[in-house]
Amino acid sequence: MLDYRILDWKLIGSALLLSLIGIVIIMTSQHGADSELMRTFYVRQSYWLIIAFIIFAVIIHMPPRLFDFSAYLVYAVSIILLILVLFIGSSRMGATRWISLGVLNFAPSDIAKLTLILALSRFLAYTKLQVASKRRLAITIIMTIIPMILILKQPDLGTSVVFPVILFSLWFWSGLSPWYLILILSPLASLVVASHIVAWVIYFIVLILFLLFLKPGVLFSVVVVITNLAGGTVLPFIWNRLADYQKLRILTFLDPGRDPRGAGYQIIQSKIAVGSGGVFGKGIFEGSQTRLEFLPERHTDFIFSVLGEEFGMWGALIVLILFGIIFYRAVMIAFRCRSRFASNVVMGATFMLLFQLFVNVGMTLGFMPVTGLALPFLSYGGTSLVLSWSLIGLIVLTDYHWQEY
Amino acid sequence: MDRFKISLESRRLLTFIIISLVFLLIFIGLFNLQVVKHKELLLKSENNRLRVVPIIPRRGRVYDREGKVIIDNRPSYTVSVILSEQVKGVTVPKLAELLGMDTSMVRKRIKKNYVSRYQATPIKRDVPFNVIAVLEEQNSSYPGIVYQMERVRQYKNELNAESFTGYVGEVSESDLKNENEIDYRLGSLIGKKGIEKQFDNILRGIEGTEYEEVTAFGQNMGKSEEKETNQSVSGADLYLTIDNDIQLACTKAIDTFCCGTMIAMNPRNGEILALISYPTYDANIFSSVIPESLWNEIRSDSTHPLLNRPINGLYPPASTAKLISLGAGFEEGIINESSTFSSCVGGYQFGDRYFKCWKPSGHGVLKGVNAIEQSCDVYFYQLGLKLGIDELSNYYDLCGFGKITNIDIPNESKGLNPNSEYYDERYGKNKWTRGLVLNNIIGQGEILVNIIQLAQFFCGVANDGIVYRPHLLKKVLYPDGRIQETTPIESFRLPFKQKTIDILMEGVRLVVEGEHGTARFLQNDQFTLGGKTGTAQNPHGENHSWFASVAPLDNPEIVVVVLVENAGHGSEVAAPLAGKILKAYFNKKESNLPVVMSASKEEVN
Repeated sequence: MLDYRILDWKLIGSALLLSLIGIVIIMTSQHGADSELMRTFYVRQSYWLIIAFIIFAVIIHMPPRLFDFSAYLVYAVSIILLILVLFIGSSRMGATRWISLGVLNFAPSDIAKLTLILALSRFLAYTKLQVASKRRLAITIIMTIIPMILILKQPDLGTSVVFPVILFSLWFWSGLSPWYLILILSPLASLVVASHIVAWVIYFIVLILFLLFLKPGVLFSVVVVITNLAGGTVLPFIWNRLADYQKLRILTFLDPGRDPRGAGYQIIQSKIAVGSGGVFGKGIFEGSQTRLEFLPERHTDFIFSVLGEEFGMWGALIVLILFGIIFYRAVMIAFRCRSRFASNVVMGATFMLLFQLFVNVGMTLGFMPVTGLALPFLSYGGTSLVLSWSLIGLIVLTDYHWQEY
Repeated sequence: MDRFKISLESRRLLTFIIISLVFLLIFIGLFNLQVVKHKELLLKSENNRLRVVPIIPRRGRVYDREGKVIIDNRPSYTVSVILSEQVKGVTVPKLAELLGMDTSMVRKRIKKNYVSRYQATPIKRDVPFNVIAVLEEQNSSYPGIVYQMERVRQYKNELNAESFTGYVGEVSESDLKNENEIDYRLGSLIGKKGIEKQFDNILRGIEGTEYEEVTAFGQNMGKSEEKETNQSVSGADLYLTIDNDIQLACTKAIDTFCCGTMIAMNPRNGEILALISYPTYDANIFSSVIPESLWNEIRSDSTHPLLNRPINGLYPPASTAKLISLGAGFEEGIINESSTFSSCVGGYQFGDRYFKCWKPSGHGVLKGVNAIEQSCDVYFYQLGLKLGIDELSNYYDLCGFGKITNIDIPNESKGLNPNSEYYDERYGKNKWTRGLVLNNIIGQGEILVNIIQLAQFFCGVANDGIVYRPHLLKKVLYPDGRIQETTPIESFRLPFKQKTIDILMEGVRLVVEGEHGTARFLQNDQFTLGGKTGTAQNPHGENHSWFASVAPLDNPEIVVVVLVENAGHGSEVAAPLAGKILKAYFNKKESNLPVVMSASKEEVN
């Protein structure tokens, strides 16, 4: 039996408070909605929280080794689910993301996030390959790209972006120098900078000086330079391959005013909501942007805007502090625990949650593009909540068994 | 490759740095929106939330001098559909059935007028009341179908009053640019012509505003509690100097002719009792959307119903102008009561041109008043040569011709009063002959007048030389009960001494009562009258027929001027019409209905 007294209650409490705050905001966000279904979203979310908490409770009672051993198996299962969803999934708004189990819909892409963390953590924990060895990098890239491509096929650009983030954070946590990471990521930067020829030339000079200073090996340097050149030249090519709505999202992100009724409209209305809330907020049920439906996706992607409008800056800061507690505890647990696998899992989870928080909140505040990434714990959505609580379960489990190898 | 490794402690430190950066960025974002830009964004959220709804005031009614309605407001119903409340397969067919349209037409209208699912999409305007009654009684079987009422102007069509009522229409972009009209917004109604335009600021009242809360989709959530409603103020009612009955008599009289214009005026104060432009169009067509076919029909009509004849119709005054000529002769000392010119033998030789008199057998030797009585052209040819073009033009000018009368309806034309300066410009210096005066003195040639100018001149003759400004507005009744009466304004005085005016009055008397008068047949037992006939030569067709009359002779109280286009001699056509109108006036007066109704003292206070 577990000794409940030594569980990380600060962590659990923070996650629980975030989930409850989420339910309250889901309720206020759909308070005046026309349909009964929308008005009772918060009830459904409460049931999901109970399910999520049960799964959390089950996880913390498991032997930690179980996840280590089964990592590849669950990874394989999740890949099968991702393939399945393309054939038997239910479509909404042009994307096939959900598998329907009677009353419940679940998104295999959420499960794949967890299983990728497990599989990568296991591989990186036990491999004898050098941190920067080509085989090690290649294998992990392949492991990441498989689910990512399947998710891009749905299509779900927003979720697929999370997968490389998991990969980079686990590379980093398993010892790869951030300089190296920067070099690996440099073709992406090249892609962006390439839109301006002078900037691109300057960028290239900096990149070569960087390579000369770091001396990462001739072959590696050549590959970096070539991929950077390619990155810079394929920009127009990639741009032309993007779907119209993706182009629009990027353009709208760069200039929200260009399409005030489309995606830009969402950003503008979200900024108005958050800004008009001020320091103290307009009060629960009183947010006019929320109540009068100016805010889009109030209970999912833009839930943070509702928080900002009705509870103001103090409400937003409380939520941020709770996230801060989770991240701080998680990093300390990952640092302390003796199992490299468990440590990797905790940090994979932490960076994934941090990335989602940053992208989602950044979107509602207008400095990140509209990606459709949910805010962990708060956004309406069962699988997302179960996933978040599973990650909390793994972190708490790791903490409880920190001395085990 | 160890330089690519990084210690656990460094990794932890770096992780905390990254987490801190993320939180810092989010905090900066929050601070920027919620503190720095808070006021601006709060205003934007209020603008999102509140919709300003104008409350349209009742536009003032317009009555005749006795309170009979000339312009009224009537309710007009528009049937609309609220798409968020429609029932598929029921609403559209029901709507089509109700309005007698087919479903594809209904769908077309929905597509065309769609604003939002929650806002009424208008389908048909000016739906008859019985349809609205059906809708009201059985509203549960018409899901999502609603109607709105608006007030539209109703002009009393049988009055033929469009020449002075004008009409209203939606404010145009150019109107909005006019800084005097800052109170208008796009979609407001504004007077476009006539009384409606002249007194628009009095008639329209003050628009109110109401704030309602709306959702992003335009659904009305009810009146805003924080913002107070600003009630509208109704427009003032106008009482015109027009007499409904005289106006009707005029309309009836001119009915059998193609085109013409008429005016009845009180010489003692300039009040216009009747004003007719004939033919005309129905001003009510401007209250709803005008079908293009109807508009084209009106525009291409050869009788020019859109020409506002009293103020924009310009005609040679013909022999009616002989009073001015004669007056000028007396004033300039060229003639006196008993002086004569050479005998009229049916024409007059001037240079190499022979100027005919209207009577080929000639009038013989005449005195001034008899020259008026018989309208002898030859007498006036000789007078004109002594008077000269510029002196004559000067008298025309002093009698109010070639300039606007300042009547209280807009866009008056001023006509043309030619003088040597004008001819120099038109034909070149010394390129024209002095003989032109022979035309001008009998009111032919280039001189052009409108009927109001001629009427005000005859009013002056009938009123000892004092000309009151012709006007239509009698009084204004404000919604708060205040009454503002129009006081007659003396416009100018005729350039004639009393003695001259007496002679002119004797002339007009002889036209009716004289042995040889051109309108002898108008003599009657009911009332005395004087007048002057005129036959304006019209190069484009039949002559225009003029008659200007004054009655009764001992103390004139009404001046009636009639012009019938392309109708022939003044004595044959216009004079009998004027007679009918005067008869209507005196009949009404005798039947004890006070025609000149002045407001009693109590009303003023």
